[in-house]
Amino acid sequence: MVAPVAVERLKLEVAGAREASRARAVDIQSLGEPYLWALGGALAFGCLMIAGFLLLVAWNGVVTFWPKPIAVVTLADGRKIAGEPIRSELFRPGPEVLAKLVPDQRAAIARSDGFAPRTLYRVANYDLYGDDFLWVTSFEARSVEQPPGMMLFERLEWGPFIGTVKSLTADGRQQAPDLLGPGELARLHGEARARWQRIREIERGDIGAVNHALEQERLRLRRVAIDQGEASAAYAEAKARLDRRQTDLGQRYEALAAEAKALKDRDARDSVVLADIAGKEKQIPLSAIVRYYAPNAMGWSDMLVVYLSRWWEFVSEEPREANTEGGVMPAIFGTAALTILLVIAVAPFGVVTALYLREYARQGRMVAVVRISVNNLAGVPSIVYGVFGLGFFAYFLGGTIDQLFYPERLPSPTFGTGGLLWSSLTLALLTVPVVIVATEEALAAVPRSMREGSLACGASKWQTIRRIVLPRAMPGILTGIILAMARGAGEVAPLMLVGVVKLAPELPIDGYFPFLHLERSFMHLGFHIYDVGFQSRNSEAGKPMVFVTTLLLVALIFVMNIGAIMIRNRLKRRFAGSQF
Amino acid sequence: MRWTTGLMAAAALTMGTALAANAQQIDPKLSDYKPVSGVSGSLKSIGSDTLNNLMTLWAEGFKSMYPNVKIEIEGKGSSTAPPALVAGTSQFGPMSRPMKGAEIDAFEKKFGYKPSAIRSAVDALAVFVHKDNPIQCLTLQQVDAIFSKTRKGGAGKDAATWGDVGLTGEWASKPISLYGRNSASGTYGYFKEVALFNGDYKDSVKEQPGSSTVVQGVASDKFAIGYSGIGYKTADVRTVPLAAKPGGKCFDGNAENAYSGDYPLARFLYIYVNVNPNEKLDPVRGEFVKFIYSKQGQQAVVKDGYFPVPSTIAEQDLKAKKLVN
Repeated sequence: MVAPVAVERLKLEVAGAREASRARAVDIQSLGEPYLWALGGALAFGCLMIAGFLLLVAWNGVVTFWPKPIAVVTLADGRKIAGEPIRSELFRPGPEVLAKLVPDQRAAIARSDGFAPRTLYRVANYDLYGDDFLWVTSFEARSVEQPPGMMLFERLEWGPFIGTVKSLTADGRQQAPDLLGPGELARLHGEARARWQRIREIERGDIGAVNHALEQERLRLRRVAIDQGEASAAYAEAKARLDRRQTDLGQRYEALAAEAKALKDRDARDSVVLADIAGKEKQIPLSAIVRYYAPNAMGWSDMLVVYLSRWWEFVSEEPREANTEGGVMPAIFGTAALTILLVIAVAPFGVVTALYLREYARQGRMVAVVRISVNNLAGVPSIVYGVFGLGFFAYFLGGTIDQLFYPERLPSPTFGTGGLLWSSLTLALLTVPVVIVATEEALAAVPRSMREGSLACGASKWQTIRRIVLPRAMPGILTGIILAMARGAGEVAPLMLVGVVKLAPELPIDGYFPFLHLERSFMHLGFHIYDVGFQSRNSEAGKPMVFVTTLLLVALIFVMNIGAIMIRNRLKRRFAGSQF
Repeated sequence: MRWTTGLMAAAALTMGTALAANAQQIDPKLSDYKPVSGVSGSLKSIGSDTLNNLMTLWAEGFKSMYPNVKIEIEGKGSSTAPPALVAGTSQFGPMSRPMKGAEIDAFEKKFGYKPSAIRSAVDALAVFVHKDNPIQCLTLQQVDAIFSKTRKGGAGKDAATWGDVGLTGEWASKPISLYGRNSASGTYGYFKEVALFNGDYKDSVKEQPGSSTVVQGVASDKFAIGYSGIGYKTADVRTVPLAAKPGGKCFDGNAENAYSGDYPLARFLYIYVNVNPNEKLDPVRGEFVKFIYSKQGQQAVVKDGYFPVPSTIAEQDLKAKKLVN
């Protein structure tokens, strides 16, 4: 029991202490909260930026392929235009514009503080008018409607056509569209596209195989001529062989060409006459229409079908019209192949280097210098690697390989120019510091007691590294490789020097021996973005494609990273079970 | 395929809405391209980025006739074309300006003859402004005063604001924001030579990596001006009619004025080829050149927004390459 007086004194003392602490300035260094808030804020800001960027790309990319309605605008002078509304904005018409307007319009503009809205329409039909986008101001437009009959035709050439079907010629016979059954156009179009596919197959695949075989024979002859001279018996034999094969292959070629010709003739008999809103007509082969739809008369499900089919075309087809239309399949393929080759090249190099530096090398000045150099390598601008790759890999190494192994193809270079192999090696050089540093850290993190335990059991140094250290360090090493991969997949600048091209004629993998052609130049999604965004004729039409391609590149890197992370997690689990 | 008929009409640029100028026509006397047999092999083109899309369109058209011809296209700027031709790494060198003396010398030193130039298309280098810009005409001297710090064209004073080139109202006090190309580009060189009278660009010119970037820059900047190939025009920008002399008549950058030479910034787009004058051109390259000068080839020129060459030029160049008799 405490005496009441003591309690009073205690109270007084506590109050005095409070007073004192209030008077003393609180040292901000000793408080945790402001720093916590700052750190949390920084993290939140970072997350917000990343999320915002991803959302921007994703939203713009996702909506691009969704069918837009077609608006028909009647202008003040009675003319009509039809197009997809792209975006609207407010603008302030200048005095020279206002001077041409009637008083009513001027009054309307004055009421809205001198601003007037205008809308950008994609009017397409570039071949008819030489313009694919058009701004229409509100005072020029008399009425805007969305008639259900307007259709959009995506064509192989000249971009889309907006209009209606005027007449259809099937197998040489002309039909008016109102005589057609409802599914007739779709059926004929499907047939025409199938024929078109078949023609492409014959020309690319079958005739390509014949030409490839012929080219091989020719190269063999040149090879014999270079090795043994044109006077030798081997040359005569090879020549006879070439002649034999030539007649053989020639016959096959003729047969295939005749088949393709027959299909093409049949194809030419199916055509369609399209008419735009002003009545101007244009006849095109039915097979030159990629797809068509009437967006104003379509429901959700039909739109979804068009949307999905556009995505499918985008990821599975080759580009058309100087890369602004069609798909990006070669670029997806090139990016993935490049990244995989990069990992194959960078992983062993980086890991072996780090192992030696950390486990075997005597830690002294020399190793310190090497380590600093490696760290500095990470800071060299990537374009410098590109120049090095071009000079050393392509011109020096590649040129030597050409002279030794491909003399028959000179002067056209085989390895002596940029290509997939040289690009992946250049990127491997670029990213190897990341792997080295990460691997060293991972090795250093393996507890000393484990090594000593292993050595005490009589294991050799190599056995210890192989069985104890490496498995333990593996997740860390893989993290380094994942970082390297992500860095490499997004890199474009050095590639522009060592092998990326706007239009690559062939994929690096095909059906001809040796199947994987590392010397070929290739397309890359990163470069494709640059090309479509900065180089295409119509930047307005190119912009959505930039977002779609960016979305695809981010998704591709994401998928590859997820794959690597899954492998890492499996390894972690495996080694977690084998602990002491 | 049926070609559209109708006359080439000058784009009526009233109130910002240029409506229904008819599409560009190609010379009907150009020959129709017919594929021949025995054409295969691979081609590589290194050069101008102005011609990059056009080369790609030609390559696509050519490949559709000869599926087994392999064509690779690289376009990093006109200055990259001559070294690649000399080194033999490319067969075609597209350039948006003629080769310089030093470049021709380097070629001649290696091969003993001069490279052959093919005049593949006509470009009117356009001066672009934002679509709301009311400016009606600029003389080359004014353009020089806007873009150049040396003003060799003879303009008396620097043009730093839109008021300096005659605009009134809200425009008068607004500084002109400049967009241009980087120095590897042939467009940069041509504009410097003709519009700047070989003077120097102002340091404030924002150099862009591609032709279409210039247009995008001008589209997003209301007080901007920039130069680029006419093919890159979008709905967000306007081309300014140009006059060669102070007080002279202003001409639109359309095909008619480009052919007649009235438009002061019209130029040919070249493709340089290594043709030995004593030998016949090999079939792949020969057919490609023929394709460029055919109806289909010149149609691709129109598709890319440039102006096709008339058949007289096609014939001259084809004869010079001994491709027709």
